[in-house]
Amino acid sequence: MKTLSILAAAVVLGFASAAAQAGAAQAAEPSSLTVTFKGLQQKTGAILFTVVNSEAAYDGKAPVVAQDILKVSGDTATKTFDGLAPGRYAIKAFHDVDGDGKMGTNPFGVPTEPFAFSNNAVIAMGPPKWEAAAFEVKAGANTQTIDID
Amino acid sequence: MDRRNFLRALGGATATAILTPEIAQAAAQMGSADWRVAFADLEADLPRGPMRLVDGRAPRGLAGSLYRNGPGKFHRPGGSVNHWFDGDGLMRAFRISDGAATLEARFIDTPKRRADTAANAVITPGFGTPAGPGARIRNADDVNAANIAVMPVGGELWALWESGSPIAMDPSDLSTKGIKTLRPDLQHVPFLAHPRREPGGDTWSLGVNGKQALVWRLGPDGALKSADMVELPMASYIHDFTATQRHLILILQPWIQDRMVMPYNDSFTWRPEQGTKVLVLDKADLTRRRVYELPAVFAFHYGSAWEESDGTLRFDGCFSADARFATENGKTLMTGAWKPQPAAILGMVALRPDGRASLEPMGVAAEFPRIDGRVAGSARRYTIHASGAARSAPMFHGLATHDWKTGKSDAFDFGAHQLVEEAVFVARPGGSDELDGWLLAPSVNTKAKATELHVFDARRIAAGPLCTWRADRALPVSLHGAFVKA
Repeated sequence: MKTLSILAAAVVLGFASAAAQAGAAQAAEPSSLTVTFKGLQQKTGAILFTVVNSEAAYDGKAPVVAQDILKVSGDTATKTFDGLAPGRYAIKAFHDVDGDGKMGTNPFGVPTEPFAFSNNAVIAMGPPKWEAAAFEVKAGANTQTIDID
Repeated sequence: MDRRNFLRALGGATATAILTPEIAQAAAQMGSADWRVAFADLEADLPRGPMRLVDGRAPRGLAGSLYRNGPGKFHRPGGSVNHWFDGDGLMRAFRISDGAATLEARFIDTPKRRADTAANAVITPGFGTPAGPGARIRNADDVNAANIAVMPVGGELWALWESGSPIAMDPSDLSTKGIKTLRPDLQHVPFLAHPRREPGGDTWSLGVNGKQALVWRLGPDGALKSADMVELPMASYIHDFTATQRHLILILQPWIQDRMVMPYNDSFTWRPEQGTKVLVLDKADLTRRRVYELPAVFAFHYGSAWEESDGTLRFDGCFSADARFATENGKTLMTGAWKPQPAAILGMVALRPDGRASLEPMGVAAEFPRIDGRVAGSARRYTIHASGAARSAPMFHGLATHDWKTGKSDAFDFGAHQLVEEAVFVARPGGSDELDGWLLAPSVNTKAKATELHVFDARRIAAGPLCTWRADRALPVSLHGAFVKA
């Protein structure tokens, strides 16, 4: 359970330290990324997520490429980012069901709100590693679909 | 009593036969090999069906349902559990009315069971089983086996594990309603499998996480009254605790969590040099506490506690010299083997007002202690327990009551072919004296390869069962049960 606490802290910390750099791409060959969150069970609050393009940023040691807040009103939520440089990216997200802007945790630090990673990378006693969550963004249109609840 | 004397007492009480480990091992492999039928998988839910009365007659006035939980499926084609405690929770219902009995069993629909079924392999880690490929562990309830005990409350049954939430079920058909969240911010906080219910009053339980415990207090209807965090003296493995009318008593044994790894039991180290600490909390003010010290001992289960007029607190338990069952035989029996080991023995703890604490072993091999729930938290005379443990095979061959006033045991032994499960007390309608009622104890009859249900007069155990019903097949042995009267 201690590791679960660390997981919660890491995820929460990731969002807390996220610098707003949306659209900061070195777009030589512009590409777009459409992120879709699906499977939402509770249709309240918002999805808070970050997009990173390096392992350092994934681990919270470098700025994020983008972050956003998507209001939830149905069982999916979608956002498209334009002008991203092709490369490897990863996404961390949580569903802020109660809309308080924070990832809820129980007294032992275990998340009480749904969270997910790109590639639907599996959470097993801790967040997945960059390698499991990283995906390729190529020139043109790209999609990433994440199950979150 | 010092540690050496206690260990000597444990050894003396249990070495009933002078057997070398080799001989005992051989005996286990041959004579008692058919105990394995009691640990075999149930492949699918068992619909309600009649049990056959094979002996005696049901006592007049006995009517209701005995619900019992325990692991029921262990093996899957792509990989199996490594430990008995990691089988899928299986709820059984023995229903008695008009002198007849029926039996049904239904698996608890947990995220673990769904994930393992989809993978066709046990991928979900547990007490003694590591994670397999693809295991998703976001919180404790993703690995919740819901396989230890059952608590009837508020018209529901709660299937209890010890490191996750209760899982609510419908008592009428044993269907799973879902994970019970007692307050949104307390999602996934563990709830022990051995809550303490005050007669006609509140129920107390714990959620343990290292050196912290959340103290749950529920009203008679199961609604949450309070949830407060307390600090523990040691990060001990806690399966059970006990309580008087005024106190909660947490026994911190020296099987201590010093890391967090999977499987869970690998996170604990036996550190006998640290001894056992007993934390006593005032129910009315959890910041009021006292810590007592005992020799290093291990126990899964305790009886309920009481306070004497001079302030001494007493409780009993089934004590072992170490955590060997949890670390060794719980695993080996899943491979069809058994390493001879001494049974736990009944002991009485006294916590005295001057700060001294003692543990007196009674010389009686015992597990699954139960009481007449009407005297929970008050001075009592009797402990009900499983008895007749063999060193060479798992489980018990009989049941007994221990009389703390006379020191005598009223016991019945079915013989080595019967693996007897925990007995549950049912009060006789209209009676009020302690043990005025019946004991309901299932067993797996390894000769008949069938689950049986035995009814005893709780005050005349040695006379044998008043009646026995037999199902047409064996279910895996269960762990803990509760009776709901009709």
